[in-house]
Amino acid sequence: MQFSKNNSYRDYFIERFGIGKEIEKYDFYEFAQSVWAYSGEYYEDKKIEVMGIRALRIKKVYKPTTAFLRIIGRYATKNVISLSSNDGMKFLKGENIDGVCGNNRGYVVVKSGSDVLGCGLCAGKLVSQIPKKYRIEETWL
Amino acid sequence: MNIEDYRDMIPDFEKFVARMNEPQPYWLRVNTLKITEDELIPRLEDKGFVLERFAGMNAYQIENMPVKHPGATVEHSLGYYYVQDFSSMLPALLLSPSPGDFVLDMAAAPGSKTTLMAELMKNTGTIVANDISDNRIKALAANIERLGVSNAVIVKGDATSRRFGAKFDKILLDAPCTGEGTYRKNQKERMPNLSDHIRMSKIQKKMLKNAERHLKEGGILVYSTCTFNPLENEEVVQYGVEELGLKIEKVELDIPHDKGVKSWREWSFEKVSDRMIRIYPHLVDTGGMVIAVLKK
Repeated sequence: MQFSKNNSYRDYFIERFGIGKEIEKYDFYEFAQSVWAYSGEYYEDKKIEVMGIRALRIKKVYKPTTAFLRIIGRYATKNVISLSSNDGMKFLKGENIDGVCGNNRGYVVVKSGSDVLGCGLCAGKLVSQIPKKYRIEETWL
Repeated sequence: MNIEDYRDMIPDFEKFVARMNEPQPYWLRVNTLKITEDELIPRLEDKGFVLERFAGMNAYQIENMPVKHPGATVEHSLGYYYVQDFSSMLPALLLSPSPGDFVLDMAAAPGSKTTLMAELMKNTGTIVANDISDNRIKALAANIERLGVSNAVIVKGDATSRRFGAKFDKILLDAPCTGEGTYRKNQKERMPNLSDHIRMSKIQKKMLKNAERHLKEGGILVYSTCTFNPLENEEVVQYGVEELGLKIEKVELDIPHDKGVKSWREWSFEKVSDRMIRIYPHLVDTGGMVIAVLKK
């Protein structure tokens, strides 16, 4: 199985998050139930392990990754939740946040100040989608 | 190998030995793909970091920090900086890839130099980042992702023989080595012996031969190791010049360093020594690194 180019996934980021021309610098590739965003020139090899950054996981609905939102999320104009500094720290620890989603539903870009923290899921409350590898610990600053 | 074997090879040897027995300070560089130095450094300083910028470069020695490990911050998790020894930045800086270049990083994990090159290339062009082991590739992929590098392709293979199916503008061969230059970080490790150096030198020559095969005419190849022994450095580079027809470039480097070694024991390296670069721990308070810039 190989990475196969499919730039129709750009539309997801345009429609869901209102991202403009900044998305055009990436080509999108499907591989193993994931979509990868790649800003390099095409390179052919039968044994590519990783191509750019995983941007989406393909489930019943598309799930954007925290890693890619941390790059592109600054350009998002809709489905964006801004947290206070305290709530931002809780979110990065993997905690859920009440009372911030308003009318939003589904996956959102979560910011705090100028930082894009990553992906959240608005389902009544804001459910942190920060992967364990990116969660901060109590002793961290 | 006893460090005394290098007494005649390393200038200010007593200072070198003294520094080798001191713990190595941490260094960091700002990941300019995500944030500017002007934005990040005050944030870290507000948290209690004491940082010393080196020579106007994006390289900061951590003189004091309020956490046990320099990676224990929100900013590190967000990919705003990379903890990397200054000496380890130099091979990528000397290769100096430009936006749009087609670059091969032959032994890329854990990705400190790959991510620095992506910064220099502004996430354009292509970096093919190769490594041999699954575990090391996981670390490489994690760092590439955390830093937001989107112009890299990771492939797995043995750098001595893997065919990459293309010729590259620039190649970084930061070769596996016996790691004497990292001794300050890992003081419990045993020093390698002569047979370790000879065995490693043979592997490094195979890698250099494979690198040369994948370099475009006129392309630039940086060869580096983090070990001091000349058999893994000058000997390999001299092989590249004599047997592979590579030319060693003269490099102006405006930071404290030493030239290559002319001879060691029965070996002579006269053809390349003047143009090689040796970074010793007692010069800038770093680890050790030996570098050559080669042209095809």
